[in-house]
Amino acid sequence: MQLEFSPADEQFRNEVASWLRDHLCGEFAAIRGRGGPGDEHHFVDERKAWERTLAEGGWTCIGWPEQWGGRGATIEQQVIFNEEYARAGGPGRLGHIGETLTGPTLLAFGSEQQKQRYLPDIRAGQAFWCQGYSEPGAGSDLSNIKTRAEWDEQERVWRFYGQKVWTSLAHESDFIFVLARTDVSQRGHRGLSFFLVPLAQEGLEIRPITQLTGTAEFNEVFFDGACCSPEDLVGEEGDGWRVAMGLLGFERGVSTLGQQMLFQVELDEVIRLAKENGASRQPALRQRIAEAHIGLRTLRYNSLRMLSGEDDGSLSREAMIYKLAWSNWHRNLGKLAMDVLGPEAELVESAPYELNRLQSLFLFTRADTIYGGTNQIQRNLIAERALGMPREPRGDA
Amino acid sequence: MDFTFTAEQLEFRDTVAGLLKTEVTSDSIRARWSTDSGKDPALQEQLLAMGVYSLLFPESLGGLGMDAIDAVLLAEACGAVALPEPLAETMMVASPLLVDILNRGLGNGAIQPIIDGVMDGRVNVAVLHPINPYLNFAADVDWILAGSGDGLYLLPRDAVNLTPAKSLDPSRRLSSVEFDPSAEHRVAGGEVGAALLRASLNLGGLTVAAQLLGLSELLVSQSVQYTQDRNQFGRPVGANQAVKHLLADVAVQLEYARPVVARAAYTVGVSPERADFAVSHAKLAATRVAQLAARQAIQVHGAMGYTWECDVQIAAKRIWALSYEWGDEGFHKNRIHEWLLQPNALLGPEYTFGRRSLVG
Ligand SMILES: Cc1cc2nc3c(=O)[nH]c(=O)nc-3n(C[C@H](O)[C@H](O)[C@H](O)COP(=O)(O)OP(=O)(O)OC[C@H]3O[C@@H](n4cnc5c(N)ncnc54)[C@H](O)[C@@H]3O)c2cc1C
Repeated sequence: MQLEFSPADEQFRNEVASWLRDHLCGEFAAIRGRGGPGDEHHFVDERKAWERTLAEGGWTCIGWPEQWGGRGATIEQQVIFNEEYARAGGPGRLGHIGETLTGPTLLAFGSEQQKQRYLPDIRAGQAFWCQGYSEPGAGSDLSNIKTRAEWDEQERVWRFYGQKVWTSLAHESDFIFVLARTDVSQRGHRGLSFFLVPLAQEGLEIRPITQLTGTAEFNEVFFDGACCSPEDLVGEEGDGWRVAMGLLGFERGVSTLGQQMLFQVELDEVIRLAKENGASRQPALRQRIAEAHIGLRTLRYNSLRMLSGEDDGSLSREAMIYKLAWSNWHRNLGKLAMDVLGPEAELVESAPYELNRLQSLFLFTRADTIYGGTNQIQRNLIAERALGMPREPRGDA
Repeated sequence: MDFTFTAEQLEFRDTVAGLLKTEVTSDSIRARWSTDSGKDPALQEQLLAMGVYSLLFPESLGGLGMDAIDAVLLAEACGAVALPEPLAETMMVASPLLVDILNRGLGNGAIQPIIDGVMDGRVNVAVLHPINPYLNFAADVDWILAGSGDGLYLLPRDAVNLTPAKSLDPSRRLSSVEFDPSAEHRVAGGEVGAALLRASLNLGGLTVAAQLLGLSELLVSQSVQYTQDRNQFGRPVGANQAVKHLLADVAVQLEYARPVVARAAYTVGVSPERADFAVSHAKLAATRVAQLAARQAIQVHGAMGYTWECDVQIAAKRIWALSYEWGDEGFHKNRIHEWLLQPNALLGPEYTFGRRSLVG
């Protein structure tokens, strides 16, 4: 065990911090701290421009190998980058899905041609991606996917029929990776394949879904004959489940540390407010603030430990507990923020439904325990996979 | 001792609840969101005809002569449909305060006509207690009973300045209220003013607590329904213990909160000067179950629970607003521990249920 960063790492930290200081200003000053959870719909064009600026500075995809434009950054360096990015108030990353999900998945499972076609644009902050997994009938039971991919022999393309739902940021994206059924005679995770599909085309319609917050971050995506070329099938036909699960393994990635820095920024805001409005004099709130602080520290130590392990995309025990731990912590923080606001918690900023930062935080954290595997599913995974307890029976309705 | 409600009390509740269930649907609530007033005037007429606006006025004044125990059941029924209109507040907070003022011979003859007006639906009164920074549905009130310091003021609508403010709950119509606490409008001050304000705070806390119970029940029933209808892994999601337990926990807390609220209503009715503790307990217990209900209801609905379209948001957002109205958790916990920790607090087994009787 060795818990300090090396001098070289500290130097890297300075480099990141000073680059961000020099660039997250001027035209980008307005987007500092914006576009995070609950605020994704704001400053989309500016944030896309920011992605390109980041890319020019060499700060997108730093964990990718140098061959693909990355820096081959070590885990420590990626941690540092994410921390400094959050500390500097870097805006919510629109390139996040491409960089942390599509990229690593193509690096692990993609063909040479796919890498060449897609990685450079992700790296350049030019192409934005969304995740097409969930469907109306396939939420927790992801393998119940009904969207079909049919081979069109005449046009030599895969054609898609069906519907995805809850697709975050589809309306701001260029591509969607789609888990679809290529063999309809198969059920469950057999007969699925993983595709890379452009969003702007005939036979594909995106309809935003308004959320509890009054804004629309996620969407329905309807496929009625939209297509992709045979080169856009990732892995073998019928191998989609393995690719899809591999991708979820990458979600454990280093972004968790940056996420915690954002959590820290939110907690600091709650503490500042508590001091300002006198809530900090209430013993019950003081204690909850202390709980929040140590809870966040605990998350950080676990993440550092989890990232110290092998980086093979497989789920480690530590990674398995992480989603449950942070989502509960964050949900509690949302509630704490409201309680610190007190009666002001109810007041939204004028028409039509502008939430303030802490209200967005509160509402958004209601979803934290749902997306990316609900708390109940996470507990099932921990019990069944980590502890080896008997699997729950499936129904056959 | 009898902790149950009488058949008549339940029957009256059922009658009003029946009307509310048919008239106050999620569609009708959503329809109110896009209107300025946020109210359904036709419903008001029907409620008036049932006598709910006369409920807590004594028979000698032409009212129905019921008390807080009767009213608490109705307030819960209002919560159970997430009724946007401040019926419970008018009935349970404004009416008793008017009677209290009248009985003390205060108000310079202004009170009687106001009471008459409330009972026949011509006059609309609201109470603005200093603990609440905003008043709900203030735009069409005729009179505001407002507190400032230990003074209580009776202000006609044109003597106050209303600035509209938006609530997280699209059903609510908040305003901040400015007024000049002048002698002209003063009804009471000093100890009497403070006592009236304290009584109104307890009535307000009780009213909100009862509504929170109803709102919790509404969310439980919506959730039970959804988890039966929604299938994953080839069976209803409600078949999973993990899901069942989320809702069972709410049901247990809800049943345990009910007698707490009933007891607070009883104390407010028979011994209002001693109701602080009981009301704070009620508000805390009801807020706790309601917050849990909102959280679990969203959880068991999955992503659907996070949408604008899903009706869970109607009750959940009301709960998040009401949790802070008439004193938040910190305020009510303080009232309890300050009382318990005072040097001569009456502690020990002989006082477990209060001195001599339940009402303590
Ligand atoms: C803000 C947000 C963003 C999202 N973004 C995306 C995205 O970009 N791409 C994408 O593909 N998806 C996305 N999702 C969808 C998300 O992955 C699903 O919501 C999640 O998997 C749960 O599925 P569901 O909503 O259908 O809930 P359901 O599966 O219907 O679950 C309902 C309830 O039943 C419980 N339950 C279900 N099965 C079991 C079981 N076996 N044991 C115990 N409890 C069970 C659940 O825990 C939940 O409480 C997003 C969701 C949200 C809220």
